[in-house]
Amino acid sequence: MAEDKPAFVFPAFISDYREDPSRNIPAFNEIFQSYLNTAAACTDEKLLAFHAVSNPLIEDELLNQYLSYIYGCSCARVLLNKGVNPGMTAGYSMGIYAALFIAGSISFETGLLLIQKAYEAIRKTLPHTHYGMCGVIGLSENDIGEIVLNSNLNLMIVNRNSEYSFILAGDSFHINVFVLKASEEGALHARSFGVTIPYHTNLLEEAASEFSKTVFTADVHSPRIPLISVLNQVRIDDIVLVRAEVVKNIHTPFNWLATQQQMYALGISHFTECGPSLALYKNSKFISGSGKFVKWDSLFK
Amino acid sequence: MAKITENTRNEVRETVFSFFAEECETDKSQINDNTSIIKDLDGDSLMFLELIEIFKKKYNLDIELKTIGKYAVKHPVETIGQLIEMQLLIIEHENRLLELDK
Repeated sequence: MAEDKPAFVFPAFISDYREDPSRNIPAFNEIFQSYLNTAAACTDEKLLAFHAVSNPLIEDELLNQYLSYIYGCSCARVLLNKGVNPGMTAGYSMGIYAALFIAGSISFETGLLLIQKAYEAIRKTLPHTHYGMCGVIGLSENDIGEIVLNSNLNLMIVNRNSEYSFILAGDSFHINVFVLKASEEGALHARSFGVTIPYHTNLLEEAASEFSKTVFTADVHSPRIPLISVLNQVRIDDIVLVRAEVVKNIHTPFNWLATQQQMYALGISHFTECGPSLALYKNSKFISGSGKFVKWDSLFK
Repeated sequence: MAKITENTRNEVRETVFSFFAEECETDKSQINDNTSIIKDLDGDSLMFLELIEIFKKKYNLDIELKTIGKYAVKHPVETIGQLIEMQLLIIEHENRLLELDK
């Protein structure tokens, strides 16, 4: 059991900073700037141009991933400094790297390296950039399957957020067709994410194989706090499982609904989303269980 | 088909106002029928879905989400007042909502 400690959960990408609460928390900004400087020195100095309001870096898929990681690590660090210790952690999609960092499994720099090498492996092995991802709300899995089948779309469901919220990935033209068809069929919301990488699909098997060369030589340790797999909901508690999870996470569908339910079952009663938006917080309202989300900045009010 | 009474109308109105006041961390007195859900309250589809689920449970409604989605495509909702009217139609007509367009 995880006593009464929260689970720290980490989002994948940052789509906007409109709800970002950090600007009013000086302790956060200090840590964020420090991590940002480190990341700029290790990866790309363009990161120093980051500005939460004008937001010039959010369209770049790699820089966005770095920023999401930096934000997640900063958020978790400021909570730790405040004496809030997680009882468990999980990373939504590419949020895995921040989850591994806060679990003590990788250093901040190793996380940056893994993000960079995964991206390079994907760009090296994918034949083109005509891929995409989309989210759909309000249709069942059967409804989605029928649209995909009837329209002969080369797409797959790569994540179930809740009973009526899914993520799909595949060919970008097919994504656009799906978004139109889903709206016609009664989706309350269907939107392309504007990315060019079909994460969590078998299109990235070759990339995962290439990426594994980095993962299996990277400095990785056993997690010090329970880390839950979003792929199969088992506890990842040794180096072998960490390495396998990081590689599989690239090309394997995941299930956030089952992951959050598993954390409930393991005794987690509250969650903190370590990110600038409230995406996981909002989604949690559609997942049955006795836990609740606490906004991370509420501890600083 | 449920009959919409004055009491139902008041309940729906109160639920919608309270819901958005809490979700959007704003004072209920700042919300009125002309309030734009997106522009003024920064509302989103997950809030809409949550509100539908609240009413489905409260009134034990038999309606598929996609039926509401199809109706909403033809009758887009922008303001709180329009949303309340749509919720009342959902309660009144449930899965026969689309028959209103025939």
